[in-house]
Amino acid sequence: MTLEKRPVTRFELLMDAGYGAQKAGDILLGAFVGMGQYVYVEPMIPAEISPPARSRPALSGVIIRLADFDVTNIGNDTDLILASHEVVLDRRLDDNEFNPSAKILLDMRDQPGNPDSYEMVLKRCTKLGLSVIPFNVDEPSQSIIKELGGKGLNLYYLGMLSYIYNMDEEIVQKEIVKTFGKKLKEDIMAKNISLYHNGYQLAKEKVFFRVEVQSHPSPGEHILIDGNTSMSMGIIDAGFKLFSGYPITPASSIMHTLAKSFPSYGGMVHQAEDEIAAIGTAVGAYYAGMPALTATSGPGLSLKQEFIGFASATEIPLVVVDVQRGGPSTGMPTKTEQSDLLAALCGSHGDYAKVIISVSNVIDCFYAPHLARYLAEKLRVPVFIMSDFQTANSYKVVSKFKLAQMNGGVDNIPDFVLERFHMKRLEGAVQMVRGSQTVPGTEGGMRRITGINTDENGKINYFSDNHQRSHALRNEKIHHVRRALTLPEMFGKESNDVLIVGWGSSRGAIEEAITLCEKNGVPASGMHMRVVYPLPLMLKDVFARYKKVMTVEVAYGDKLKPSPLALLLRSETLKDVHPLIADATGRPLRPRIIMNKIQEVLK
Amino acid sequence: MTTDTVSKPAPTPVTIKDLNTENPRWCAGCGDFGIIMGLKRFIVERQLVPSQTVNVSGIGCSGRAPNYFNTYGVHSIHGRAIPIALGVALANPGLNLFVHSGDGDALSIGGNHLIHGINKNFKAVFLMYDNEVYALTKNQTSPTTRHEHPTNTQPQGTFLNPLNPITLALGLGASFVASTADWIPDHLTNTMKAAFDHPGFAFVHISQRCPHFDPNNFDHKNSNWFSFLKHPNGIEPDRRLADKTEVVEHDPSNLAQAFQFGAAERRYFGLFFQNKNKPRYDNILHGVVANAPKKDPSKILDSFLI
Repeated sequence: MTLEKRPVTRFELLMDAGYGAQKAGDILLGAFVGMGQYVYVEPMIPAEISPPARSRPALSGVIIRLADFDVTNIGNDTDLILASHEVVLDRRLDDNEFNPSAKILLDMRDQPGNPDSYEMVLKRCTKLGLSVIPFNVDEPSQSIIKELGGKGLNLYYLGMLSYIYNMDEEIVQKEIVKTFGKKLKEDIMAKNISLYHNGYQLAKEKVFFRVEVQSHPSPGEHILIDGNTSMSMGIIDAGFKLFSGYPITPASSIMHTLAKSFPSYGGMVHQAEDEIAAIGTAVGAYYAGMPALTATSGPGLSLKQEFIGFASATEIPLVVVDVQRGGPSTGMPTKTEQSDLLAALCGSHGDYAKVIISVSNVIDCFYAPHLARYLAEKLRVPVFIMSDFQTANSYKVVSKFKLAQMNGGVDNIPDFVLERFHMKRLEGAVQMVRGSQTVPGTEGGMRRITGINTDENGKINYFSDNHQRSHALRNEKIHHVRRALTLPEMFGKESNDVLIVGWGSSRGAIEEAITLCEKNGVPASGMHMRVVYPLPLMLKDVFARYKKVMTVEVAYGDKLKPSPLALLLRSETLKDVHPLIADATGRPLRPRIIMNKIQEVLK
Repeated sequence: MTTDTVSKPAPTPVTIKDLNTENPRWCAGCGDFGIIMGLKRFIVERQLVPSQTVNVSGIGCSGRAPNYFNTYGVHSIHGRAIPIALGVALANPGLNLFVHSGDGDALSIGGNHLIHGINKNFKAVFLMYDNEVYALTKNQTSPTTRHEHPTNTQPQGTFLNPLNPITLALGLGASFVASTADWIPDHLTNTMKAAFDHPGFAFVHISQRCPHFDPNNFDHKNSNWFSFLKHPNGIEPDRRLADKTEVVEHDPSNLAQAFQFGAAERRYFGLFFQNKNKPRYDNILHGVVANAPKKDPSKILDSFLI
């Protein structure tokens, strides 16, 4: 028996949807964290609730990257796959995300009924050079699973993985009780626990390798949180009082979390009749003095666009969260993509003011609502928070966030929040189209707002000079932000052959790719932008220090069509920016592939 | 920003003049003049505080209405006045809320919001200005244009029968359905009164003249083509016209009869239906917050500790 020590490893549990792969992932995560290891978790969720079992769309799984250092992304390739049958394995092999020496644990229980299919997939594994360890769930466990109506298989697999990753059985058992404790009757819980131990025992007998990642418990209070939950808590801490939304994947879980917790902190959750009504009610509430926001994903963003322009024209503060998914149209609701940048930038008609901020991890998710509210109220413009499926659903352990409790005015936003997003406090008053922006109920402040162009008193005005003036003032608000932006986060040397640039969720992959490049002598540096519109003024000078500037994006682009960020950077800096990676595969960026591509470019 | 709702009486009585802004930019003879005058009369009669009053509208001729009231106002986008009004109601339940919407705005582009505004039954007076045509965009068929009436989009004559706003609202479970007309000021103001006093979403249908595009839509010089509904719990018939036309008894709690009057060939003005007990969504949401166990905002992350 070998116990291999590794600084970092990645494994996957693949099952049919509805059989608890996600729950098993939650338990593993809690247990690893309890043992002082660092984890980054990416769930693989089908777009349907329960696609037919043993079909390719049924794949539901969890990818866990385990490390003895703080991991910022899901990493490169998988070292071990545990698959509950050959179909989900075959489906996942298509993504080509495995290490050439990866090991595969394949449950053979469906083999008697599907010998040809198993043979085909096993052949595929051999061809790929992957070593397959077939196994069968022991008979006593099979009958327990039968008694449980097919449930409990996930705990059996959990047991196997616990053995392989040298986990403390007691810690895992505690996590199981924590996860299911309130929902399961005592006898059912006992059966589940026995399945867990039986799985552990099977691996002990059948699997001849174990992997250990060193633990590094870090001091201080830590929390385990995913992106959408973190943003929900940030929304409360930032002092919002109304969330107005419409169900859409992958933004809905923000509404779910807030529906449970917001009222206890004085906040309301309104589920509107459609996406347009959802943003309309946020606009109405903010007009009447209640900080409000909405959250959506691509299709909903398209529907909300008219109201975004209206908020800009009428100077009503507005915050729109866009948890991006694969597009266009319905696209891939449960896969990640960063292709809504231009929809936020130019999606509403006419020239409307907007600020676009993005989040790269669960910490940004918590503080983005604070910054968004600050900018929305200071400048009375729409502010976008761009998240994506990956960031929204990835769990991470982080030091407990420092709270800001921005219940009063937005001027008490802490400096550290502004610094996180690389911007300075906005100085002085920004000139408004209208001076006195009172809230209904304020005596003597009666005013009408309209989407029609108005003069400085808010009166309807169609005259040419006046319309040009409105545009200039709306844009001045954005220039004010532009001037307050400091240098975005940089990785690596201050001048180099290549600079790779990304925004939002690409941060972790960029940071790790540059570390890899430096280790391997590849002359590349990195830049990550949290505020993605407007862009800071020094960008052109910074780009001049690099021979090539290339973007890494989870969005489509090719030789003739720059990907969204590349297009924006080209237009603003006149630098010949191309995409290095413009992959809209629905899969997160991988650090090693970024390095390989840089090497190709430098050849 | 604050949500301070301390309501103070206006220092001096509010007059019609106080409520005026600029001269409305509607065509001469437009029924919209009558409608906003009816509402202004009601505001003065009830002495509503202008700073506590919000008019919300969508797009179209009716959409301009909030600009002509010296109160708070939102002239929003086409069809979306109801979601905005709901936001205002949730943010500050103490405000007097009036929603102005045309036939195209309410029944066509904003139809979904009307369904849910009625169902949510939040406290607002909903004024549906029905001139039976898209007028501001220059004479297109609307959901209430009468069959065979020619327009710019259906010059052969409007193809379909019009939607019936009254039976539609009744069918959706509206808690208050009334109908009136722009040229019967006494009845119009009485209708505003009843609607404002209704604890919920008050759907008020207003027949509105459009002399520019459809001078024949309503014969405002004769009263033989409509009747008034009358009841102690209803709306008083117009005092100028009550003796010139039919007045029928109708108990506004009688939903089946309300449907009959609503579906009739003849037009009826008055209160079709009222149910003061329908739950209000705005109250429910405020209740959810009021009844939730209070938690310490300095501990919002504690349940995520490991």
